[in-house]
Amino acid sequence: MKITTMQGLEDARAQGERSLYPARTKITVGMATCGIASGAGAVYAALIEEVKNKRLDATVTRAGCIGYCQQEPLVDVLQPGLPRITFGQMTPKKARELVVRLSEKKGLPFEDAIYRTDEDKILITGQEVRLAAERAANGYRKVTLIREHPYFKKQKRIILRNCGLIDPESIEEYIACGGYRALWKALKEMTPIRINEEIKKAGLRGRGGAGFLTGKKWELCRLEPGEPKYVICNADEGDPGAFMDRSVLESDPFSVLEGMVIGAFSIGSHQGYIYVRAEYPLAIERLRAAIDQAEEYGTLGKNILGSSFTFNVRVVEGAGAFVCGEETGLIASIEGSLGEPRQRPPYPAQKGLWGCPTNINNVKTWASVAPIIFRGGSWFVATGTEGNPGTTVFSLVGKVRNNGLAEVPLGIRLREMIFDIGGGIQDDRAFKAVQTGGPSGGCLPASLIDLPVDYERLADAGSMMGSGGMIVMDEDTCMVDIARYFLEFTSDESCGKCTPCREGTKRMLQILTRITRGKGRPGDAEYLQNLAEVIKETSLCGLGGTAPNPVLSTLRYFHDEYEAHIVDKRCPGRVCKELISYSIDPEKCPGCLACLKQCPTEAIIGEAKVAHRIIGNKCIKCGACLDVCNYNAVIVE
Amino acid sequence: MSAGNMNLNGRPRVGVYICHCGINIAGKIEIAELVKFAEKLPDVTVVRDYKFMCSDPGQNIIQADIRNGLVNRVVVASCSPLMHESTFRRVSSDAGVNQFLTQMANIREHVSWVTADSQDATAKAKALIGAAVHRVVLHKPLEKKTVPVHPDVLVVGGGIAGIHAALTLAESGKKVYLVEREPSIGGHMAQFDKTFPTLDCAACILTPKMTQVRLHPNIELLSYSEVDSVDGYIGNFDVKVRRKARFVNEDKCTGCGECTVNCPVHNRIAPPEHPEVEPHLDHEVKSWLTNLLEQYKGRAREALLPLMIEVNRQYRYLPRDIIHYMAWRLDIPLSDVALQVATFYNVFSLKPRGLHTIRICMGTACFVKGSGRLLERLERELGIKTGETTSNLNFTLEAVRCIGCCALAPAIRIDGDTYAHVRQDRIPRLLRKYTVEGGVKV
Ligand SMILES: Cc1cc2nc3c(=O)[nH]c(=O)nc-3n(C[C@H](O)[C@H](O)[C@H](O)COP(=O)(O)O)c2cc1C
Ligand code: SF4
Ligand code: SF4
Ligand code: FES
Repeated sequence: MKITTMQGLEDARAQGERSLYPARTKITVGMATCGIASGAGAVYAALIEEVKNKRLDATVTRAGCIGYCQQEPLVDVLQPGLPRITFGQMTPKKARELVVRLSEKKGLPFEDAIYRTDEDKILITGQEVRLAAERAANGYRKVTLIREHPYFKKQKRIILRNCGLIDPESIEEYIACGGYRALWKALKEMTPIRINEEIKKAGLRGRGGAGFLTGKKWELCRLEPGEPKYVICNADEGDPGAFMDRSVLESDPFSVLEGMVIGAFSIGSHQGYIYVRAEYPLAIERLRAAIDQAEEYGTLGKNILGSSFTFNVRVVEGAGAFVCGEETGLIASIEGSLGEPRQRPPYPAQKGLWGCPTNINNVKTWASVAPIIFRGGSWFVATGTEGNPGTTVFSLVGKVRNNGLAEVPLGIRLREMIFDIGGGIQDDRAFKAVQTGGPSGGCLPASLIDLPVDYERLADAGSMMGSGGMIVMDEDTCMVDIARYFLEFTSDESCGKCTPCREGTKRMLQILTRITRGKGRPGDAEYLQNLAEVIKETSLCGLGGTAPNPVLSTLRYFHDEYEAHIVDKRCPGRVCKELISYSIDPEKCPGCLACLKQCPTEAIIGEAKVAHRIIGNKCIKCGACLDVCNYNAVIVE
Repeated sequence: MSAGNMNLNGRPRVGVYICHCGINIAGKIEIAELVKFAEKLPDVTVVRDYKFMCSDPGQNIIQADIRNGLVNRVVVASCSPLMHESTFRRVSSDAGVNQFLTQMANIREHVSWVTADSQDATAKAKALIGAAVHRVVLHKPLEKKTVPVHPDVLVVGGGIAGIHAALTLAESGKKVYLVEREPSIGGHMAQFDKTFPTLDCAACILTPKMTQVRLHPNIELLSYSEVDSVDGYIGNFDVKVRRKARFVNEDKCTGCGECTVNCPVHNRIAPPEHPEVEPHLDHEVKSWLTNLLEQYKGRAREALLPLMIEVNRQYRYLPRDIIHYMAWRLDIPLSDVALQVATFYNVFSLKPRGLHTIRICMGTACFVKGSGRLLERLERELGIKTGETTSNLNFTLEAVRCIGCCALAPAIRIDGDTYAHVRQDRIPRLLRKYTVEGGVKV
């Protein structure tokens, strides 16, 4: 079954096309971790059962995640000659009804549809696959087109090109979407140097955080004398709040594998590693399945695509340490020791895994390689801005309406991200800040809403691109508490090797904790500023070097909140327990008893249909009442 | 030839002397029936009853019989030995019978005073007398001797009783060793607020005494120690006390407790660095590990982490014997495996985890959406802190930084299942789903 000729690749493509666009109805459920957590498993089971019961001529299949997580579980219905309709927030009950309507030819429940797709555009080849044979019928036309849907309108999907479309465990479907065309081109028509040049021309920058030029990195490793050489895919995704690497591995693992083979061929490596964090069991599973299939089809392993090139990949599971995402820490971890970073230089390109030249890139970086190679560096540069070409994936989460993954051209403005794609703030609260770059990044205030998002602008504003987490915060967030939260994280994850980071983060945490408890002292803010600058300058690795960023950026943009805590003993975000109290608005409370039943300390008194009251000294400020109140009657101040 | 010797040589001749104790005994028990019964017992030569056996005339009856050679063993059925055993022993020895050849049957405190029915009382008295006769035949004459005694005292247990005993003895000039199992003396009283019934302040009584113990020149305090064995006999005991390891200079220690918190061997994996012999491991587990190892031929160091992950997955923690075996097998120092690698990575635990592990996401997205309050709720519901396991070993609660479901925040993962958009009021239901009625079998 190994593919060694163009004809072989063509056959696989044809087969993949048949399963992507079958001649009968196809129902697809998005089954990545987020979909499953929202109940996609039950929906899938219900569909299978009902299709069998009703003897419907349809296939039920699984796909990865398209990124519109807010609407999970998502179900696509594709009937021959008709547009693809996507339904959101599916339940087993709705799924059954869907099948019933299909079998009774009653037409789809368009009121539950969120968007429709008239044609699939294959990114690699630039071809279009028309789904709707002619003008779609009336009901269909009422459903928003995906390219006009606010969540997708501004997106440009290169890394996520196949996510949510193909079955992640089917190499044929990947090939049907232009997969392995780039690898064919690289192995048969290009030299390692040409490949490297193409990546350089594309100006691709590492999507793992620092944004180092990928072409340059490959070149360093390629020119380094010494054998063997290794390539590594960094899928440790330690940034809390970022999950795009997981999504890519779960939805389109072959795109990463193809990029790695191309990179390995250019660099001259025969062994690769993919380091996946422990919290992503499904990603590991799908990746292993993909590797097995790729080996079977000859796109990985010995004599790839009939050439003389050999390349193997091993999956390494992480064990839960943030600092292992740092490249030298990661290498140490693969070697079986503590994942402690070490001094650079020597860089991994000179002395990496087992002391050999090693090239390490992020999942998204690898997934960007194949389109660049097939369509050329100049095609890639056309997207994004100068110096920041291409696209990157953000995980848009927190207090925005539409949570999910969005791939956008670099240079997009924060406003477009949060208000156009994200749909604004939940519950009509006011936008306060957005956090990017994870624990290494910072918090940007509402006043910077028109900032274009690229590596340099973010850094100038005191934050970072990081791996793409974008956590939106509303007026109910306390910025001092957020800074404390990140310091808790970094002081916990500090490996302890260097003193500024180990001790410094602890001291900063101490001060921040003190402030959030209402015990802040005059001068604490200045002291923090001082400490943060010292730690930034003297730490050994990126963790310590960037750990003060959340503090520095909040000090810079939210100084008044620090003052409110320290001087007035007041928490403007109404979060810090010691500085707030709970009460119930008698105007709004209809007396539904919901909170009364939840209160662990019986601090709420009242009876049915009479507004409730909270007894202040009994309340432990657990927030249970706030969570359950459907009338927004619980006041925190 | 002394009387004692003569008596020894002959066959046992038992005299039974039944006391009326006024009406104390005779009022309830049929004395005549007892006499008849006793006369038929083997080896009994004389049976007599009398109003007050302990009186001089009573004593004289016994001595006369001994001197007349009628009796060489004595059974007195009367009151408690506490009352008159010494009296009757003296009576016997004064008349020339070894004092230990005397036996009492307690038919007053054990029978007449406490039995309602007279027939029952008589029957029980018979049984006691019969037993005493059988027993006295087997007695051996004993001699009193004086032996040297070690005057030092060991008090076991440093509660309030032990402390008080130690102080009293020490005051009277004895050297006292006070052994206490815990790091500090004080015992239960240290945990009380008030004492019954006077409602005095417990600490006010206890604390000065504890200080006195420490300062008393005659008391040697062996805290954090346990008695391993006691040999010897009264006055000459040999006691082994095991002092638990502390490696602390007691003269300098202020008892701040900082070291216990930071002790790396807290988890009881003390490394004998390179064991010569293969550490013991269950055969099945061994072949399972060997199979896993096959994939990593010649790459021992690289195998370490995946292997530990696999073991951790299988057992939900890293069992001590497997760690020992793995270190030996991979030829990696145990301190590297156990103390460094195992404690560096968050997924490993050196303590057994519960049947279900609850991993609550404390990533940024979840934090912003209130996972902190969820965590507090879980702690309250389970009655444990983060990182701990419930006492019935059902749940372990852990906080993780992001499980990749940030768009569905706040998220919780229990074992392999992820739950999205979790609100506080859902937690009791979630926990019930993973709770087995009647507890877990482990
Ligand atoms: C503390 C720390 C954590 C990091 N975590 C990650 C991570 O989770 N994923 C990632 O791809 N890169 C991470 N990096 C960046 C890597 O060191 C490295 O720069 C990156 O993998 C290179 O890939 P790229 O050039 O494709 O961006 C981290 C860096 C630091 C200092
Ligand atoms: S915050 Fe918690 S303790 Fe206070 S009233 Fe609400 S439910 Fe009760
Ligand atoms: S839940 Fe809200 S409306 Fe209902 S009783 Fe409580 S405070 Fe009142
Ligand atoms: S922040 Fe909770 S799942 Fe990512």
